[in-house]
Amino acid sequence: MFSFTKFLKLGAIALLALSWCAQAARPPAPQRIDIKQLSKKVEDVVVPLPNEVFGALNKLGSVNWKEYVRSSKGSNFTERPRIALLLGTVIADGFIAVQAEDAPAVKEIGQRVQTLARGIGVERSITQHAKAITEAADKRNWENVRQELDRTQNSVQQAMNEVHDEKLSQLVSLGGWLRGTQVLTAVVTKHFSDQGAELLHQPDLLVYFQTRLQAMPEFNLDIVREIQTALGQVKPLIDVGIARISPEAVKKINEITTRLDYGIVTRE
Amino acid sequence: MRTFLSYLNRGSLAIALLVVMARASFASVDDAQSFALQAAEPYVKEGFQVREDYWGGDLGSGEKKAVRQQLFKGNEYWFWMGTEVERARISVHIYDSDGKLAEQSDGWEKGHFAAAHIIPKSTGSYFIIVAVEESPEERTHWALVYGFR
Repeated sequence: MFSFTKFLKLGAIALLALSWCAQAARPPAPQRIDIKQLSKKVEDVVVPLPNEVFGALNKLGSVNWKEYVRSSKGSNFTERPRIALLLGTVIADGFIAVQAEDAPAVKEIGQRVQTLARGIGVERSITQHAKAITEAADKRNWENVRQELDRTQNSVQQAMNEVHDEKLSQLVSLGGWLRGTQVLTAVVTKHFSDQGAELLHQPDLLVYFQTRLQAMPEFNLDIVREIQTALGQVKPLIDVGIARISPEAVKKINEITTRLDYGIVTRE
Repeated sequence: MRTFLSYLNRGSLAIALLVVMARASFASVDDAQSFALQAAEPYVKEGFQVREDYWGGDLGSGEKKAVRQQLFKGNEYWFWMGTEVERARISVHIYDSDGKLAEQSDGWEKGHFAAAHIIPKSTGSYFIIVAVEESPEERTHWALVYGFR
């Protein structure tokens, strides 16, 4: 009798497990698909946040992030595309300050983001995030700061999209990507490794930005033209297929992105 | 009085119908996103940072869509898909830029939730294929969020 009850219990457990598996298991996916067939149904990329690449970089060895922290107030601009580019760069600076666990820099950057957002009329969308960044930095809760920086960028871009300023929203992403790439190449140049250089293998992202910039003829600014030319110079350096990205290429990309970063943050 | 009550009953029925119809017509990608985020919730405790940005849209039964995404070697990613249509069956799979299946085997599908997991072997572009396998609706909203650690 005892063994029958035990048998029943075991049976019930097995049945439950089976029903869970039936619900959660999935039919096998094809091992290979023809990507070209899907070409008309491909959605745009979501531009990775700088901390996504910084996280991968961290796993390759310790990085002295303090070296790359920048919290200076910088120039003020009136041209909206310039503000958008700078805003993306400053948010990326926020992620660097988080990597360095530099609370005063994070708080300053939070303020700066708010000022820039005011400059393009989207301040309201991020006020609560700016406050949350300061509070989390005070508590040294870096996970929350990271999340609030992501929310800040997302809210700014959503507010821009709502008023059909999608192009400005794309410039915010571009500014962040350029600053992230500048720091990535600086770190890899200093301690070169093939794995570090491989993180630059982002050809589709580059094409995405190139296409977006081509569709912005109304932003007739030197810096926008400079970025467009520079992306053309960077592309052959990172679009190397299965070959390795050389130390020279990494250094060259660092020079290009440093020049662009200077152009974005300074008034000249 | 009886006529009034029957009028009232019909009225409530009409209101209830209207509410149901309004719910159906106002259901949106945002609702689908809430479900995708719900699927992601347990992973946050495991250290995954879930991005605020997401993809979304609507698909008919049996329709697929590809999402191109840059992934970095060294990181680990989960993609979570959701829809507000409870009786729908959805799926998500990850392929590399050559069209080769690149996901881990622990992905799952559970009703109106699905998830796929990848530890990229190389840095580059990947294709996330989302599909509405079955649905009682003509068009089914979907949303895809992702997280990394």
